Amino acid sequence: MPAYEFPGGIYPPERKTHSNQAPLQAAPLPALVTLPLKQHAGNAATPCVAVGDDVKVGSLIAQRNGMISAHLHASISGTITHISNQAITIEADGHDSWQTLPPLDWRTDSPEKLLERLDSGGLAGLGGAGFPTYIKAQVAEHHPIDTLVVNAAECEPYITADDLILRSYPNDVLEGAQLIARLCGAQRIIIGIEDNKPEAISALKQALPQIQHPATIVLKVIETRYPSGGERQLIKKVLDRDVPSGGLPADIGALCHNPGTLLAALHAVRDGKPLVERIVTLTGETISAPGNYWVRLGTPVGTLLNSVGLMPDRLHQVIVGGPMMGTPLTTLNSPVTKTTNCLIAASVTELPPAPMESPCIRCGACEHVCPAQLLPQQLHWYARAESDSTLAKLNLFDCIECGACSYVCPSFIPLVEDYRLAKQRIRLKQIETAKSEHAKHRFEFRQARLAREEAEKQARRQARLAQHQKPAGGSTGNHATPEVDLRSLRIAQAAAKAAVKKAEKVLARAAEQDPKQRFDDLETQLATAQENLKAADARLAKARASTTQKETP
Amino acid sequence: MGETFSWWGILSAVGVLTGLGVVFGALLGMASERFKSQENPLVEQINALLPQTQCGQCGYPGCRPYAEAINQGDALNKCPPGGDATIHALADLLGQEAAPLDGEAATEDSVAFIREAECIGCTKCIQACPVDAIIGAAKQMHTVIEDECTGCDLCVAPCPVDCIDMLPRSKPLTQWQPLVSATMIIASDRSYTGSEHARL
Repeated sequence: MPAYEFPGGIYPPERKTHSNQAPLQAAPLPALVTLPLKQHAGNAATPCVAVGDDVKVGSLIAQRNGMISAHLHASISGTITHISNQAITIEADGHDSWQTLPPLDWRTDSPEKLLERLDSGGLAGLGGAGFPTYIKAQVAEHHPIDTLVVNAAECEPYITADDLILRSYPNDVLEGAQLIARLCGAQRIIIGIEDNKPEAISALKQALPQIQHPATIVLKVIETRYPSGGERQLIKKVLDRDVPSGGLPADIGALCHNPGTLLAALHAVRDGKPLVERIVTLTGETISAPGNYWVRLGTPVGTLLNSVGLMPDRLHQVIVGGPMMGTPLTTLNSPVTKTTNCLIAASVTELPPAPMESPCIRCGACEHVCPAQLLPQQLHWYARAESDSTLAKLNLFDCIECGACSYVCPSFIPLVEDYRLAKQRIRLKQIETAKSEHAKHRFEFRQARLAREEAEKQARRQARLAQHQKPAGGSTGNHATPEVDLRSLRIAQAAAKAAVKKAEKVLARAAEQDPKQRFDDLETQLATAQENLKAADARLAKARASTTQKETP
Repeated sequence: MGETFSWWGILSAVGVLTGLGVVFGALLGMASERFKSQENPLVEQINALLPQTQCGQCGYPGCRPYAEAINQGDALNKCPPGGDATIHALADLLGQEAAPLDGEAATEDSVAFIREAECIGCTKCIQACPVDAIIGAAKQMHTVIEDECTGCDLCVAPCPVDCIDMLPRSKPLTQWQPLVSATMIIASDRSYTGSEHARL
């Protein structure tokens, strides 16, 4: 099969030989771990232990909160010493005793059991986004999936974690792929790998013939070009399918997983080991023993780098992730999380600070390299001008923040930084709007409730009045108004009834489209309409009472 | 010439056109009556831009009444919780000049907190809350639902024992935003030391 092309892309220096020469090793066990409650996409987990509790490796310490969230497990055995809003700290006892779950067999056990294990194992995508794996495996409920794409492209410079995983555990990764393929119903597995990893490719070729059941596995070697490891780019390259703007790969029948996630999934199912450690590339010129290491989650970056021979006097900055998309650390006390795939301890000559930014000269170089076919220059102007509606028109949210545009910019404009800020600003604005909308509905409901209470009170008063005044005869009021009043009140009541029906319909339609969602605002709107109807009923009753009272004498 | 000119032709043309006019006029009239919207669309748009704290600092009992007042020609700059952003958005919508805020701008997002030990259960704050964010009953302790509180501080004044504080609201980590310097007007504003942009 030919390889298809995605637009744009760049060829930065790879610098992978720093870290891919040494075999995979285990980093020394830390004396203390700090486990952030939010290491995954979605809601932060809720702690379920108390300070002073003794835990083993793999003990559940925080439970997932809501649908899109993941459990968190202790990564060393020891005592919980601190719990804050953000993290749980555990001090090691040095025994490293494990608490594992009963092993399962992915070939024979039921899918529900396997999904439950992916959930209870706290699995999240290890490639960088950290999306909870059990949710991703359930995507087949809404979209038919035909192909599982194993994203072994690893296009960012420096990072070699997936390379070493595939060299060391080719069979396990393929078994993990079969497990996920079984859960999502994919008939075919395609491994997309860049041609700069010959050892991993040969290891996979050896392992492939043994594991071809139930799904068939195809290996696709692609040209090395950044960012071929982007989900959309890789799917374009190996399947020639375009993920729609604002959509997911599942929309076009594909699912993309990182080899590390597949390995962790197999470990959780076959060995009953929750996600407590991962493979991290430790690289950069200021480390004396660069390579790939099994690292327990929550290990402080400082101690980890020191254990592989950090030279602090030469250190300029530590970057989490790759040099293109990663972020510099401000403190070495930060822990390794589920999404930390690489730590670069760079010297100042290796990754020098960006030169001073100059004005845009409209050369258009950014547009040529953009893999998402956006207009980086336009986005830059409008992001700086905070023109959010234009940014939406220019599909800002399709930007994958790969950094290719910043890399080629001759004026050294930090374009991606602009886009990230703009995205963040727009997201915050959306949250604010949703909040004020919510407050508005609650306010309207309160107004309606007060009006209803008032109307009912009036109606009761009128009824009492009618009983008292019956013998005395009706008051001599004006004759025309009650008729008109009654008519307009009847119209108001009909309108209120229609409003209730409309609100019910809107709520029913929304619930039908997405049954798992909660519709607080729509429910409030419905309640408001119902209050209005009750108020209209009460007013009508009152008017009727008063007219009959006038007619009877 | 006389053969081409006929009264009948002219009359029928006038008749047909008049008929069409009447029919379409009736159609349009019916449509406008049938699909008439109850609300003034401009008021809705103005209301959508207001922050919906329902705090009454503008002098109107809630955001919607203020939106109606703006539609009648009231000033745009009476909303302290919205601040400059709201004033600019309103000015954009209505094509007016943006005036500086009349009053003190809200310093930060705050939330009401009832010191429960001191609460006597008078329900006055519950009646004052515009969004029903306080729960409790007579002679029972009251408490604020943090997620529903808009921080309008309308509950503070009615409290007879002054047990309500306005506290800064804790922001979730996901809504954290990096601080950016407002002055990036000329390129040399960008400092070497502050740059954390990795580049190969």
